[in-house]
Amino acid sequence: MRTTRRVFLGGAASAVVGSVASPFVSRAGHAQGAGATTRIGMVLPVTGPGADAGRFALNGAKIALEAVNKAGGVLGKPMELVTEDDQTTNPGAVLAFSKLASQPDLVAFIGSIRSTQNHAMAPDILKTGKPVAFGGTDPVLTQMGNPWMFRFRPNDSFSARVIAEYGVNTLAKKKWAIIHSTDAFGTSGAKALTEALAKAGATVALDQGYTNQSQDFTPVVLAIRQSGADVIGSYFTFENDLGIFARQLRQLGVQAPWVGSASIVNVTALKLAGPSLYNTFGVADYAEESSDAARNFGKAYRGVMKLAPDNQSSWTFDAVTVLAKAINAAGKTDPKAIREALLAIRGHEGAEGTYNFDQNGDGLHGYNVVRNDKGNIVFDKRIDFYQG
Amino acid sequence: MDLVLQLLFTGIGIGAVYALVALGFVLIFRATNVVNFAQGEFSMVAAFLMVVFAVDLEWPYWLSFLIAIGGMALLGALFNLGVYYPLRHRTYLPVIISTIGASIFLANTTLALYGPQPQVLSPVFETQGFLLGPVFLDSQYLLIIVVTAVLVAFQYWFFEHTLIGKKLQATSQDKEMAALLGIPVAGMIMLTFVYSAVLGGIAGILVAPVLFVSIQMGATIALKAFAATIIGGFGDVTGAIIGGLALGIIETFGAAYISVPYKDAFAFIVLVGFLILRPQGLFGERIAEKA
Amino acid sequence: MTGSPRPAPADLAAAAPAARRLPLGSILYAIAAAGIVLLAASVTVNGYLLNILMQAATYSVAVIGLTVVLGLCGQINLAQAAFFGLGAYAVALGTVDWGLSYWLCIPIGLAISVVFGAFLGASTLRLGGHYLAMVTISFQQIVTLVLINWIPVTHGPDGVPRIRRPDLFADGQSYLAFCIAVLAVVAWVVWHMPRTRLGRAMRAVRDNELAAGVAGVDVYRTKVTAFAIGAFLAGLGGALFAGGFAYVSPDQFSFAESIVFLTMALLGGVGSPVGAVIGTGLLILIPEWLRFLKEIPGLYLAIYGLAVILIVVFMPEGIWGFLGDQVKRLRPKKPAPPPAQDLVLTQGAGQSAQVLQVEGLSKHFGGLKAVDEVSFSVARGGIHALIGPNGSGKTTTLNVLSGLYSPTGGRVRLDGRDITAMPPHERAAAGLGRTFQNIRLFRSMSALDNVVIGAERPGNDSVARDRASLEARARAALAFVGLEARAGEPVSSFSYGHQRLIEIARALAGNPVLLLLDEPAAGLNSSEKHALTGLLRRMAARGLTILIIDHDMTLVSDVAAHITVLNFGRRIADGVTAEVLREPAVIEAYLGQEAAEGPAAGLKSDLAPA
Repeated sequence: MRTTRRVFLGGAASAVVGSVASPFVSRAGHAQGAGATTRIGMVLPVTGPGADAGRFALNGAKIALEAVNKAGGVLGKPMELVTEDDQTTNPGAVLAFSKLASQPDLVAFIGSIRSTQNHAMAPDILKTGKPVAFGGTDPVLTQMGNPWMFRFRPNDSFSARVIAEYGVNTLAKKKWAIIHSTDAFGTSGAKALTEALAKAGATVALDQGYTNQSQDFTPVVLAIRQSGADVIGSYFTFENDLGIFARQLRQLGVQAPWVGSASIVNVTALKLAGPSLYNTFGVADYAEESSDAARNFGKAYRGVMKLAPDNQSSWTFDAVTVLAKAINAAGKTDPKAIREALLAIRGHEGAEGTYNFDQNGDGLHGYNVVRNDKGNIVFDKRIDFYQG
Repeated sequence: MDLVLQLLFTGIGIGAVYALVALGFVLIFRATNVVNFAQGEFSMVAAFLMVVFAVDLEWPYWLSFLIAIGGMALLGALFNLGVYYPLRHRTYLPVIISTIGASIFLANTTLALYGPQPQVLSPVFETQGFLLGPVFLDSQYLLIIVVTAVLVAFQYWFFEHTLIGKKLQATSQDKEMAALLGIPVAGMIMLTFVYSAVLGGIAGILVAPVLFVSIQMGATIALKAFAATIIGGFGDVTGAIIGGLALGIIETFGAAYISVPYKDAFAFIVLVGFLILRPQGLFGERIAEKA
Repeated sequence: MTGSPRPAPADLAAAAPAARRLPLGSILYAIAAAGIVLLAASVTVNGYLLNILMQAATYSVAVIGLTVVLGLCGQINLAQAAFFGLGAYAVALGTVDWGLSYWLCIPIGLAISVVFGAFLGASTLRLGGHYLAMVTISFQQIVTLVLINWIPVTHGPDGVPRIRRPDLFADGQSYLAFCIAVLAVVAWVVWHMPRTRLGRAMRAVRDNELAAGVAGVDVYRTKVTAFAIGAFLAGLGGALFAGGFAYVSPDQFSFAESIVFLTMALLGGVGSPVGAVIGTGLLILIPEWLRFLKEIPGLYLAIYGLAVILIVVFMPEGIWGFLGDQVKRLRPKKPAPPPAQDLVLTQGAGQSAQVLQVEGLSKHFGGLKAVDEVSFSVARGGIHALIGPNGSGKTTTLNVLSGLYSPTGGRVRLDGRDITAMPPHERAAAGLGRTFQNIRLFRSMSALDNVVIGAERPGNDSVARDRASLEARARAALAFVGLEARAGEPVSSFSYGHQRLIEIARALAGNPVLLLLDEPAAGLNSSEKHALTGLLRRMAARGLTILIIDHDMTLVSDVAAHITVLNFGRRIADGVTAEVLREPAVIEAYLGQEAAEGPAAGLKSDLAPA
């Protein structure tokens, strides 16, 4: 007992010393490698509830990285990805980003797919003054006057407009039930959908939020049944919530058509919910059949991962590809030059769609509508709002 | 009326899950006077064991179930030896922290070994459920309710009508006296942890088809079960069952008639109300702890 | 991280009681802290390190809050992150939405935290342990849900971006310096808290609530105060945090964060702000430091969880508790204090001749009448004994007299004042002192500190309220019972008999009007009993009024001038000792059992309750 105690305390003591010294050690380590490659940083969840999404994001980025390097890299040097775990929390994201930002040789960054994390990192992004490609879809993120934030997915104002247009015009349904998570993503999506529906002349019979990681949706489903809505629009954040809701919706006999945000068609949701999601519609920023670029990405992804691709990997794929393209176009790694080059990108065919950056830093302006046909995602149509 | 019955069924189903987990809390609390913050992780680990054997390895369901339960018994024993036993002479605080550490450890070890993806464990029955008049009865929830009832009956019989059950009771009431009477106290506590881990495991395996198998599945349920334990009165088995069911029903009706986003708050508002107005819980006898 | 505050050497004060104490340690500490603040403001660090230091400094303030609640007062709080969040949101919403000055937002945030902390404490602190844990968890969950769902006010899960710092500290480094300065002040205050009246009261409550109450500590108010201070510091940390990171969102203040705060406090050592700073620094750094393990998701948090268990098992007092013990051993012994003065026991003159009047006092437990319509009075000066066989209601009577039980009926007057409805600490303030049959000392403190708490009894006007006078009074009391030489030793190192004497000294130091002694001879050997008899006589000789309960008839008949006899909860005799002991009812009830039932029954008389 005595020995174990001493050994343990000794270990703890060296841990103290080590931990104090480590920020410097790691910096020194990075300095040595500088120069041989062009490095970009990536913040992604490796632990916590978003860990799953983080893996997909990394896969997409790695595939793009390989393609970029095969095509000669950037500025004649191979491109390298430096990752940090954000633990799926906001403070974690801030620390992860600032750890990356403190490495002066990183020329650009890939941010988070979660809007709140991008909000949390925004002050540091502004301070760092280097371009950050991110995937969060809260429209506000590109409207805060932060010149360094570039969105590689269409924002929620577009997804809402697409959901509304498809439901009202294509499905001809006017009485809506909106179900959304009460997190940043869900509330902003639901707000945009309400506005879009009002413009399209439809009515909202029920607007129901739920807290993430709910275990039961019976009251929500019963409320939908009671509201008499003939179509459901949804913004779900986590697939397990979506799965539970989908199953209970069908069990309790609600057969109204359902047009959901992107999570309704992602791989995990399909696996969890199975037949409950058959014949639902999703707006997807990524749809494999929507374009040649999307097909090519899908092929590459399946080749490497043996898995169906989805939006969590397609946006990082595009982000790495476009960043490389912009740095090459700029001809140098000066942040301002890269920013100008990014803003100048027009008509880039990415896996997610055609990138045309506007002055806010939004690259995409439309969505694909897809249908779940017995577990297979079938491309229906693309609705794009970009006007040259 | 349909609405009320449907909500009632769901509430009881969810409540049965809370009750089952609460049962594990109560047993450990009675034996050791300590709240086990890792109780939820027992459920999570068992569900993952089922995924490994029944889904990935495609072994028969009953065999996988036995393996998972055996694994939980082992985990309970290790938990006792590593997390509780070294601290048995200290106050409740270090033990609480230690169980919190264990909960972080178990959740993240599972994550490291199995990855972050939520998994599917198919239900025991082929059919999803059936309509009884206007009310849909989910077969998995029916199973949960039945198993909870059976386990409660078993526990009652075990504690009241078997010698070993009585020894366990004696241990939980007065360790020193039990030791004087020749009851192997350490062994009894070991047995309690093993049984609680198995109970938690059964709960996890039962809810897996409903809530899916994820790293976080245990934590959310455990917190509610914890609240149920307080409402029922710490250290009382009947109380935990009633507390669990009450909580499930309150939550479901609260969500339906008051607010869905604040659903999780109802449990805690009711709990605070109970603590202030009736700290001994519904069935508990002890008023606050002694100074 | 900020250098450890060292206590001002108390020996200086003791050596020259008249001179003002020179706070040498505090001056050194202030210089060191100022140095670190300057360093933080001037040495440029990268953003990552800045964020880590900022997080560590602001979290530390909140964790020091736990040092007060948990370490000093022994109350669990699992909602520290909620209070942290209240402070943070006050600054966030105040500066962003309402356009208020940062300097105005901080007091608002603190006020909100304190109000909630005090309210939560006030409504639940009568419960203890696990129940308190649950209420604080509930509060935590409710705060999180409100932050998420009350979107019009809190911005919901989006959080609040672009929080402004005060212009004076707009730059990250100067703001960090500001945070460290605040931390240094907070740490200094909390470091000195254990030696303040409030701090001693908290420690007394933590060690033994019952004894604290009868020694004059308002247990409930002390707990609520501790809880409010804890919430205050959490709110302060949160307010600083909001300015530091310029963005807050509900998930930063979740239950998981409360657990992190608690772990930080316990890891570093819950007894001291230094421990809080160490624990916070480590728990922020460890996950960062383990980032190299990120290739396997979950691995580093698994290691973290394991480390928590190992630390709890192997370092029960936390890191600082462990280090602090080593430091203490190295510290030179203090010089001997000046010889103790003689203990003065003053008795108010001109008041009623009866110090205690008990009229028709009853205490029923359900159907059991433990005390039934008992009346007696205790005259000023001298020793009065309350005797009776086991189960006759003596100890119950004493507990009712000192306020631990509320009576079912009847009236109690102390020095002419009706104290029937008073809680224990108010009775103590009115002049009632007592000891317990099963000794109740404050086990983590020295003998001297135990007795100082007694000397601090509210209403004790025989001593000034400064530290030197209180200590002098406590030493005098210890000298009176013969333990002055060992004043600085922890009470656990004393023998059972000596612990009893310390308990008596604690009561004497408060200069009580009436001293209740509950079986003081229980568990003492014959020489200790003999010494006790002498001590009782000396106390009586100084004019103190004593009500004593004991079984030992030799002791009682030796010292008591007056005896009241209880049996089956009723008074069966009352009068001058010699006469009472001759009354047939008393002989039959108490002494006569042996004679009446034969020798075999006599052996059982001590065990069998009447």
